[in-house]
Amino acid sequence: MKANKILLGMLVTLAMTSCKDDFLEVTSPTDTFIEEYYTTKTSLDEALVAAYAPLHWYDYGSTWQYNALNFISEFMSDDMYPNGSSNTDQPMLQLMFNYSCTPVVCLTGVWSDSYSGVKRSNDVIKYADWVEAAGNITASEKADYVAQARLLRVFYYLQLWKFYGNVPCYFENLEAPYISEQLTADEVYAKVIAELEDIIAGGQLKDDYPAEMKGHVTKPLAYMIYAEMVMIQNDNSRYGKALSFMQELINSGKYKLTVNFQDIWEEFSEWNSESIFEINYFDDNSVRGWGNQLGAGGAVFPRLHGPRSFKANAGDPYEDVDAGWGFSAIPLHSVASFEEGDLRKEFSAFDLNAHGTSDDPGWMATGYCLYKYMCRKSNNKDQKADADLGFNNNLRVYRYAETLLNAAELLLKTGGSASDAAKYVNEVRARAGLAAVNGVDEDVILNERRHEFMGEGKRYFDLVRTGKAASVLTPNNDSGGYRTKAWSEDVRYLPIPQDNIDAAQGTLKQNGNYGSN
Amino acid sequence: MMLLALFVSMTSFAQSILGTVIDENGEPVIGATVVEKANPQNATITDFDGNFNLKVEAGKILAISYVGYITQEVAASNGMKVNLQPDDKMLEEVVVIGYGVQKKSVVTAAIAKVSSDDLDGTAPVRMDNALKGLAAGVNVTSSSGQPGAAARIRVRGIGSVNDSNPLYIVDGMPIEGGLDYINPSDIESIEVLKDAASGAIYGARAANGVILVTTKKGKMGKVTVNYNFSQGWQTAWKHRDVLDATGYMVMQNEGLVNAGQAPKYADPYNVTTNTDWQDLLFNDNAPVQNHELTLSGASEKVNYYFSLGYYDQEGIVGGNYGHSNYNRLTLRGNFNFNVFDVTKERNWLNKLDVQVNLSYARVKNAGLDVNSQWGNEIGSALALPPVIAPYVTGQDAQDQIDYYSSTYPEEYVPMYGDNGELLNIPGAGFNEMANPLASFQLPATNYWSHKFVSNFSATLGIWDGLKYRVSYSTDMSFWGNQSYATPYWISPTKHRNYSSTSMESDRGTVWQLENVLSYDKTFGAHTVNVVLGQSAFENSGWTLGASRNNLKDYNKPWINAATGLAADGDRDGWGGPGVKHTMSSLFARLSYNYDERYMVQGTIRRDGSSRFGTNNKYGVFPSVSLGWNVMNEKFMKSTNDWLNNLKVRFSWGKNGNDNIGDFRYTVLTQGGNNYGFGMAGGEKEITSSKASGLSNPDLKWEESEQYDFGVDFGFLNNKVTFTVDWFKKKTNGMLKDMNIPSYVGESKPIGNVGDMENTGIEFELGYKFNISDAKFQIKGNASYLKNKLIKLGNAAGFETYDNVSNLGNISRAEAGEPFPYFWGYKTDGIFQNWEEVNAYTKDGQLIQPDARPGYVRFVDVNDDGVIDDADRTKIGKGTPDWTFGATFNAAWKGFDFMMFWQGTYGNDIFDATRRLDLPSINLPSWFLGRWTGEGTSDKYPIYIQGDATNWQASDLYIHDGSYIRLKNIELGYTIPEFITKKAFISRLRLFVSAENLLTFTKYWGFDPEISSSATSCGVDFGVYPQPRTWRVGFNLTF
Repeated sequence: MKANKILLGMLVTLAMTSCKDDFLEVTSPTDTFIEEYYTTKTSLDEALVAAYAPLHWYDYGSTWQYNALNFISEFMSDDMYPNGSSNTDQPMLQLMFNYSCTPVVCLTGVWSDSYSGVKRSNDVIKYADWVEAAGNITASEKADYVAQARLLRVFYYLQLWKFYGNVPCYFENLEAPYISEQLTADEVYAKVIAELEDIIAGGQLKDDYPAEMKGHVTKPLAYMIYAEMVMIQNDNSRYGKALSFMQELINSGKYKLTVNFQDIWEEFSEWNSESIFEINYFDDNSVRGWGNQLGAGGAVFPRLHGPRSFKANAGDPYEDVDAGWGFSAIPLHSVASFEEGDLRKEFSAFDLNAHGTSDDPGWMATGYCLYKYMCRKSNNKDQKADADLGFNNNLRVYRYAETLLNAAELLLKTGGSASDAAKYVNEVRARAGLAAVNGVDEDVILNERRHEFMGEGKRYFDLVRTGKAASVLTPNNDSGGYRTKAWSEDVRYLPIPQDNIDAAQGTLKQNGNYGSN
Repeated sequence: MMLLALFVSMTSFAQSILGTVIDENGEPVIGATVVEKANPQNATITDFDGNFNLKVEAGKILAISYVGYITQEVAASNGMKVNLQPDDKMLEEVVVIGYGVQKKSVVTAAIAKVSSDDLDGTAPVRMDNALKGLAAGVNVTSSSGQPGAAARIRVRGIGSVNDSNPLYIVDGMPIEGGLDYINPSDIESIEVLKDAASGAIYGARAANGVILVTTKKGKMGKVTVNYNFSQGWQTAWKHRDVLDATGYMVMQNEGLVNAGQAPKYADPYNVTTNTDWQDLLFNDNAPVQNHELTLSGASEKVNYYFSLGYYDQEGIVGGNYGHSNYNRLTLRGNFNFNVFDVTKERNWLNKLDVQVNLSYARVKNAGLDVNSQWGNEIGSALALPPVIAPYVTGQDAQDQIDYYSSTYPEEYVPMYGDNGELLNIPGAGFNEMANPLASFQLPATNYWSHKFVSNFSATLGIWDGLKYRVSYSTDMSFWGNQSYATPYWISPTKHRNYSSTSMESDRGTVWQLENVLSYDKTFGAHTVNVVLGQSAFENSGWTLGASRNNLKDYNKPWINAATGLAADGDRDGWGGPGVKHTMSSLFARLSYNYDERYMVQGTIRRDGSSRFGTNNKYGVFPSVSLGWNVMNEKFMKSTNDWLNNLKVRFSWGKNGNDNIGDFRYTVLTQGGNNYGFGMAGGEKEITSSKASGLSNPDLKWEESEQYDFGVDFGFLNNKVTFTVDWFKKKTNGMLKDMNIPSYVGESKPIGNVGDMENTGIEFELGYKFNISDAKFQIKGNASYLKNKLIKLGNAAGFETYDNVSNLGNISRAEAGEPFPYFWGYKTDGIFQNWEEVNAYTKDGQLIQPDARPGYVRFVDVNDDGVIDDADRTKIGKGTPDWTFGATFNAAWKGFDFMMFWQGTYGNDIFDATRRLDLPSINLPSWFLGRWTGEGTSDKYPIYIQGDATNWQASDLYIHDGSYIRLKNIELGYTIPEFITKKAFISRLRLFVSAENLLTFTKYWGFDPEISSSATSCGVDFGVYPQPRTWRVGFNLTF
């Protein structure tokens, strides 16, 4: 009897333990399967923020490379030296200066960060469908999310197209075997410009956002991207449209130049009336650090630009300028190129010797470094992680001054009013303290762009698109004598990172003749 | 009446026979059964003194039996003395296999067995360390000499670039952490399932071998009480030979001059300070103490084993400061209750046994940062030069305080040693390297753990040979740590100016429920064994921790006694559950043998795991093995006088490794990709979420497929035994990031993309012999292993590891090579003069244009005329080719002697103790053999301060790491029983032993045995050496 009871107990145990499939299904204590998660408006908001996040990685992101959008191309122009401690300090930047990148030692950050942005933007568009299907957003709310995600995606592809040219360009995320066709630069342009026209035509983009939402992508940003792409591509079929976009911005009356040129670079004038788009960085409670470089917070590029081993003179108005790593020496020929009386000179090329001393200014030091994103002690004082990655300087991507100069150039290209063109240029010159010019041609505008935007990443593409790169970017034109190799069409684009070529099963072709030697 | 008379007359012949039963040692056998053979109902059992009293006619045959002994049949006579001999076959020839035991004679798989006798001689603290040198094919590398440190165990090589740890099953329960909860003296046996055929019963977790641990049980007879005690003293067995003050100053001056600078020391022979930092570092004669009390016994109905252990060890580095200590309390109760046994009455539902094993362990320990080049105590002691004194006094002390107070205001805190004197700060040029005596003054992080493991099981005899067993096991672990810091300043990179405290508490719960049906039956010459089972398993846990700054009172270093506020960033907390791991499994095994001549065994297990992808939720792991006992063939009879055993075995199987992490097959949300919106100083970080990656629903276990071929020999009545096994093990589908372009815009999914291969051969030899009264036994094993990475599978096709300051990564994984190998330049001597420099050309171009006489000649491996990264090649490997161990036992009269040797051959060490970026640190004495002019040295280059060129990662850093070590030696004496008996002591043995007494190695460092992580072996950053320990102690049995 007793034995039977025990046996019964054992059989019950056996029956209870007969396994169920859900026993093997476990859930994460912190995270949720994406199909379950992206069904609410809040979750879609979060996904959209994640699609914005790669914007701030450009200065130091997923590949631990320093590649803030303002200076990486500037090193390839004639207006900035990488400098640093030696010609092996940040080799990728040094090689870029001399058009000698290799498929292995090359700019990988812009590649990876941009595609991260593309992938996330694509996801937002997909998730928006899921949230709508769950009945948690209206069709018009969805359209707003989708328009932002699409414009972000255009912005990311713009960088890929500018730096690498012939790239894979997909609007839906890849699935196994994770291969996407490589398009030529022209094909990428055609695909992205059509997408941009479609976004603009959709009418969902906002003109502006309230103060607390600054940083979101807007219609004026779309216009600026459009003009930049059309001008780089020299696409005369679209000059008219690009001009109309520029003039729409000018005529809207919403934008005006900052009174003092130097004020543009101060924190108080972030998103001011001249600002069209900026990448946000902030030092208050910034948690961005060496172990958390993708975290939101401060920027590192001011430290990178900052003068090496610089000590400001006591009592100097720039006493709070902090020493940096010296990656922004302005060549003497660039300093000398400013017109007499140009107020922008002092606030583009900072005269180090006038304000302090350096005992180790760097191997290409000229005595001048970029002023615009100067690292100042006041700019990272409230960060909470690593001071080097804690600067609050927003990266100014598009300013109204560029709208004016774009409009002037497009007027010339479309045979529009030369006097209007001169008016636009003179508006910019007036702020710089320079006399008005009567007539303008493309060279005048190019020269104006050079001095207005020195250190802002425009010059290299201006030289390339106007066909002047081959004649300007030569060893002979380098007053410092550091450049030993001249620019050529072969190095117009940077090399495609070799690991991508290796993994793409033969579908990805290297740019130019990189890797062929 | 007649009948009655007859009966009386019959009984009148029977008389009380008194007798004694003793065992092979002359000890009384308690509970032996004495039966009249012709009349089995006439029986009795022996009492506590081994005596029996049975009414039986003299001359009748009595059968005397006892578990584990050969039954003796003797004619009854009064005062008879029966001497029982142990049944060796029964005692020794059973091997524990998964879910059962098997007679060794019919085992067809490759299983290494380590018995409690083998373990007795090695005095291990942890059972993973205990296996060292005892089992062929099992490579055990101690990570350091830190008390309680875990070992790195590799069964038949490195099976994966990921997790190659074996599965540990203790009394049927998988144990995943805190292996030191087992007191090694509670272990009855350890079986290592080496081949895939034996491991297949553990399916998805067996790919890297299975280690089965069985704990002790009571033995039939009266209660046995044992008390073992030992006290030991530990000392570092070796100091590194570094420069003394004069040597240091000479080399510094020479280095500076060679670098074009002025010498620093005016007169190197004028020595004012000559500090031996290693003397200050080591805690010589550090005590270690061990107490063990066991109480065990068994009767027909109950079998019990109860033990209490206490172990306390002070580390030889920092133990005297509470920085490296280990203290463990273990409790164990193993019980077996027979609820009923009616096997004599019926053959169905006839027997029920209930087994309960309960164990508890409490560990308290503190540990140093070991094997680091970033300024831990050992590394600093090696780096600091002898010209620096540990303390400063008088005006120097005031100067130091003044200097640092003004240079680091609000940060500097003067620190004093135990003697009250100001601790010297090494100063500029030493970066992280701090005065180790100052580091020891900082409060240590204290770790604690409690672990309860219990196994409950019931076994029911259902019918004939059919048995059913249900078991439920739990492992509840609680562990955590507590640390605090007071303001300190010990080096420019190690200081803080506020106090803080931190506590963490973790919990892990594992349960396993298993139901197993087994059937054992012999039909004539056919023997069949079938096992069918089901298993379910779950592992879950959580963590909770907090930290807070600003302690009110350093004697009360608790969070509740600190004042930091969250708003100021001075209070933090974290916690939450971990990811559950569940498994659900079915398994079956069929064993068959014909006449113990032909054996065949097949195993299959189907495992479902929460870690596997949706498309591969269940894995099936089959195996088959065959054996042939050639010796049992009739035609082998003629060899019986010299050859007694000859068995050939073959096995094949597939196992899995499910240690592949959680959710790697799917995509979850992921936070932390925020962006700041807003303007002009008003930016706010906005929370985000995104997909964590790209999914790979096909993701599954890593799979290993293995072939094994083995032969067992027994010679000279099995006094000499010899076993040899050859194996080939291939791991397929090792997890690695998939090789896809990064333009997918997301971290690459993990795929089953890599392959690895291990082949090897293993030998085990045993020899027992007697010379008159003296007994001897020799056991040895050796294994050869060749590891080869077939494919890594990631985008780059290779991977590098083991970052060394200023040298970069010095280990590398690449297809076709052992995993991992040391990667650097090959050197070819020293340029003795300019002619040699100028002669080293390729196509007329100098290969080393910057070289000078005295520089290292690097080999241009790829023959392209330049020395660059592409010339780095395989310069060694940290894993050995050969691993071996040998035990020698001798006993004579009351004396016993044991020696255990153990070692490795064919492994290299990369000595990374020197920080190239700190030119002022002390150097090894062998630096005196540097090149100083033509013909002075063809190995070590000219010494130039700050020279990185000649000291790039190269074979100059590689040393032969082979060693042979007298791991243990012990001499014992058992005091004759006739003396101890007067004190009611049945056995008293005194012993003296030494651990690590002798080590033969060419390596000049602290210890040739080095492992720092799963993939790092043989990289010496200044390893914590294993101590040489002298012990005295006794074993007492009541």
